[in-house]
Amino acid sequence: MRFNNIKQLEEHREQALKNQQKVKNTILVCGGTGCLASGARDVEDELRKQLAEQGIDMEVELQVKITGCHGFCERGPIVSFIPSGILYEKVKPKHVEEIIEKTIKNDKIVTKLIYKDPATKKKVQQYEEIPFYKHQTRIALRNIGQLDPTSLDDYLVRDGFKGLVKALGMKPGEIVDEIDKSGLRGRGGGGFPTARKWKSCIKAEGEKRYIICNGDEGDPGAFMDRSIMEGDPFDVLEGMIIGAYAIGCEEGFIYVRQEYPLAVVNLRKAIDILREVGLLGENILGSGLNFDIKIARGGGAFVCGESSALMKSVAGKIGEPRAKYIHSTEKGLYDLPTVLNNVETFVNIPIIIEKGGDWFTQFGTEKSRGTKAFALVGRVNNTGLVEVPMGITLRELIFEIGGGIQKGREFKAVQTGGPSGGCIPNELLDLKVDFDELTEQGSMMGSGGMIVMDERTCMVDVARYFLDFLKEESCGKCVPCREGLRQLTALYDRIVAGYGTLEDLDKIEWLAQDVMIGSLCALGKSAPNPVLSTIQFFRDEYEEHIRDKHCRAGVCKALTRLVIHDECIACGKCIEVCPTDAITGAKKTVHVLDQEKCIACGSCVEICPVDCIKVEPVKVAGEVAS
Amino acid sequence: MPEIIIDGRRLKCEEGETVLDVCKRNRIEVPTLCYHEAIESWGGCRLCMVEISHPKWPGWSNWVTACLYPVQDGLVVGTNTTRVRRLRATVLDLLLARCPNSSVIQKLAAEYGVEDTNYEPRLDGDNCILCGLCVRVCDEVIGVTAIGTANRGASKEISEPLKEPPVDCIGCAACAYVCPTDVIQVIQTPDYRVIWDRTFDMYKCVECGISHITVEQKDWLIAKDNLPADYYDLCDICKRKHTAEKQKELSML
Amino acid sequence: MTLTVESVNSRIDEICADYPVDEASLIEILHDISSEYNFLPADALRRVSERLDVPIARVYGVATFYKGFSLTPRGKTIIRVCKGTACHVRGGDRNLDELQRILGIGAGETSEDLEYTLEVVNCVGACAMAPVVVENETYHRNATPTDMKRMITGEGSDEDEGGDE
Repeated sequence: MRFNNIKQLEEHREQALKNQQKVKNTILVCGGTGCLASGARDVEDELRKQLAEQGIDMEVELQVKITGCHGFCERGPIVSFIPSGILYEKVKPKHVEEIIEKTIKNDKIVTKLIYKDPATKKKVQQYEEIPFYKHQTRIALRNIGQLDPTSLDDYLVRDGFKGLVKALGMKPGEIVDEIDKSGLRGRGGGGFPTARKWKSCIKAEGEKRYIICNGDEGDPGAFMDRSIMEGDPFDVLEGMIIGAYAIGCEEGFIYVRQEYPLAVVNLRKAIDILREVGLLGENILGSGLNFDIKIARGGGAFVCGESSALMKSVAGKIGEPRAKYIHSTEKGLYDLPTVLNNVETFVNIPIIIEKGGDWFTQFGTEKSRGTKAFALVGRVNNTGLVEVPMGITLRELIFEIGGGIQKGREFKAVQTGGPSGGCIPNELLDLKVDFDELTEQGSMMGSGGMIVMDERTCMVDVARYFLDFLKEESCGKCVPCREGLRQLTALYDRIVAGYGTLEDLDKIEWLAQDVMIGSLCALGKSAPNPVLSTIQFFRDEYEEHIRDKHCRAGVCKALTRLVIHDECIACGKCIEVCPTDAITGAKKTVHVLDQEKCIACGSCVEICPVDCIKVEPVKVAGEVAS
Repeated sequence: MPEIIIDGRRLKCEEGETVLDVCKRNRIEVPTLCYHEAIESWGGCRLCMVEISHPKWPGWSNWVTACLYPVQDGLVVGTNTTRVRRLRATVLDLLLARCPNSSVIQKLAAEYGVEDTNYEPRLDGDNCILCGLCVRVCDEVIGVTAIGTANRGASKEISEPLKEPPVDCIGCAACAYVCPTDVIQVIQTPDYRVIWDRTFDMYKCVECGISHITVEQKDWLIAKDNLPADYYDLCDICKRKHTAEKQKELSML
Repeated sequence: MTLTVESVNSRIDEICADYPVDEASLIEILHDISSEYNFLPADALRRVSERLDVPIARVYGVATFYKGFSLTPRGKTIIRVCKGTACHVRGGDRNLDELQRILGIGAGETSEDLEYTLEVVNCVGACAMAPVVVENETYHRNATPTDMKRMITGEGSDEDEGGDE
């Protein structure tokens, strides 16, 4: 099959829609990494097996599909149904028989599998009614979880390639104008206006141009792009094809992290299908547009999220950034004009073209139009993937959608923007999430990782964690980043070991400021953000580490002494989890913790049902050996 | 022709020049460690950072590397502001911690008021500051690419490929020549040269007998530039002598 | 399995045949070699350098720059402890400590019998189930030190925490 023109594509879409209408029931099994890890494959296999045994046809009237990530990873494996909209959580193979009997054959609910709102204790059976989903607006994630990611028909049924069809009837300049009108800004973190980037590339001189999709989602704690590439690959490719037409380019690359194997598999399948039907290759849909996309796998380097390093990596070289006094839209890949946009930016393109730039401006704020996908993770109840209009407050995100903090603990901070971002404390929770407000507070919205921290998180440790990460991930080209981050880590090591002084703290601030202005690329320039923002908002914790030799969160081992208090109910749970057998005790006797054996790992604190194991200061630095 | 202002001096410059080019021409001192005229600028050592602003954008200023920043008309450059001096002092302090025994770094650091490093010194290290000049001269100028870097970040190092004596090396010693901190060891005798754990036979001038090039380098250059086989039979001095004699003969005719 | 230069060369030639003779193919080829041998043998790097006409110094630089490659043989079971932020704040370090204790090897090391390699990796993008430990292709969600013990020693089985609570 090959679509030589738009008419043939539309005829095929019609046919696909007709086929779809015959389907009475679709069972969607979430195939996101979270659900797969909880056994979604086994559920799918069991479903297919039992349906086959009962002679139920799985071709026409009933379909079982493994989809991309639904986002509600906390509750996986997720199984949902179209058209009824029922959503089941934590489904195991043993539930399959009942699901078939009740839900598929008799339209009844399996009550124990539906979501129970922890706040209201009410059971919620409809997908859209669950608070986690109710407050979301899904544009970039609109298809994920709703279709088989590698089925072109599924994509066409959900209006796939309508954007491209419309774009091919427009002049390239009109496409850029439409994007301009939408106010779309880069979703990778920088927030640069997409239309302006494209215009600058169009203006630049060069024998040819490149378009690259940045799928090197390196920020730890972020997996929006992973879910999009895995769950809706055609959408990303369609965005790139429209981009290629708008800027006039024949060759595109999609740079994917090597840590994302399923994304590579699904993108490869999608590219193969598009080549086969003529939506990639020569003379796409008879329009005269020639364009093809290659996948470039990353090698495992955070710095390759930086545009100039990424382009070096695509060219097969070490990912060392260069000074960008000349923009990559003018001198990018192989020194030729290049447009580089992030995955989430590209999936916004087809729908903006299809529905118009004005339509897009109804979402978000004046300067940050549209929605943004976030990975809401850490110590929050509903972890997962969410998409909300920009301008929502952090409080709404964390407490309404996220359902608040685990185990009713106290919120301490939320880390946004990955290693380039900062930590935002309780008093700033009413900040609006958009490109500009968080930046003013020394953090940034970034690509969308949002890590919630509670009283069990040590802010000194968090800053040290990011430094340690960046020290390893620095390319090593420039002195402030390579040597500066090494020295900053050494200073933190002193503090968490109990040997820090207040002078060290001054030294940290001084050096961090110089690393910030002295480094060559964004990695080094933004590396001090977690340091400076934690010092700004949590200075008391630093001083506690230094002066009182106390880590109140019980994370810095050398500064942690765990003590079992008399509230102990002698349940024995801590004895079971202690990796060094440091806790002893019998029924009805308060358990005893041997300080000699204790490695202060905190497993017991986590499991204790009555919170009777407390973190107390050590008396002398180095008192607790680790 | 663009004009820029450096430290209050209005200076004429060429389109496409960098700030450092203009500074050099006008004898304005800007320290560098990873820069060399023959090699493409890289911006790694960050010592040549200067403060820039522009009357077109009031209130805006930035810190950039002079070796890479292209001049534009009206640019205002400060090469010696308080902030620039602090930045350089920090960079040198960090380098001093990396290479506490390098006299070159000690001297430069002292010029910026750093006598002892404020940071944790690396006690077991060599004097390599990872400026990359050796790798870049080998790759860009010589065209051999015998050595490179290994690893990244804090564990980055200049390295022979696979940690073995570099197979592609021609023993030209350009790397040792450009090294600002004299890390690359060269043993030179009349008959051979040892560098990167490899021994190269020397080729001698047929006239004066001086060893002037390694055999590998001679063969490599002849093949690369398509030169006559006897091109390197004479050393530079004897070659000049010959040329001078020839000119003399010609003029006498 | 002993690797002879000949066997490596012919396999590398096959791998390279799938790609254009261009430096841009280097990282893809190194990935393929890595899946073939579980590491990058020195002879393979030499051969790739010849086939792509890229100096060995550059091939070596790339092979050591990117974390996805190892120049030493890795174990049959590769255990990857995610060090993403979400895993970190949910106590992922405990799992690493426990694995180091049980296996007697540090992060980045391989056991002498080539059974296990322990790696600390950047965020695997499975943050909602933090802390995560990946055993070859299997993701262990909400992993605890006790789970680690069970994973290595095979004692006990995964408890069922299914929806009927």
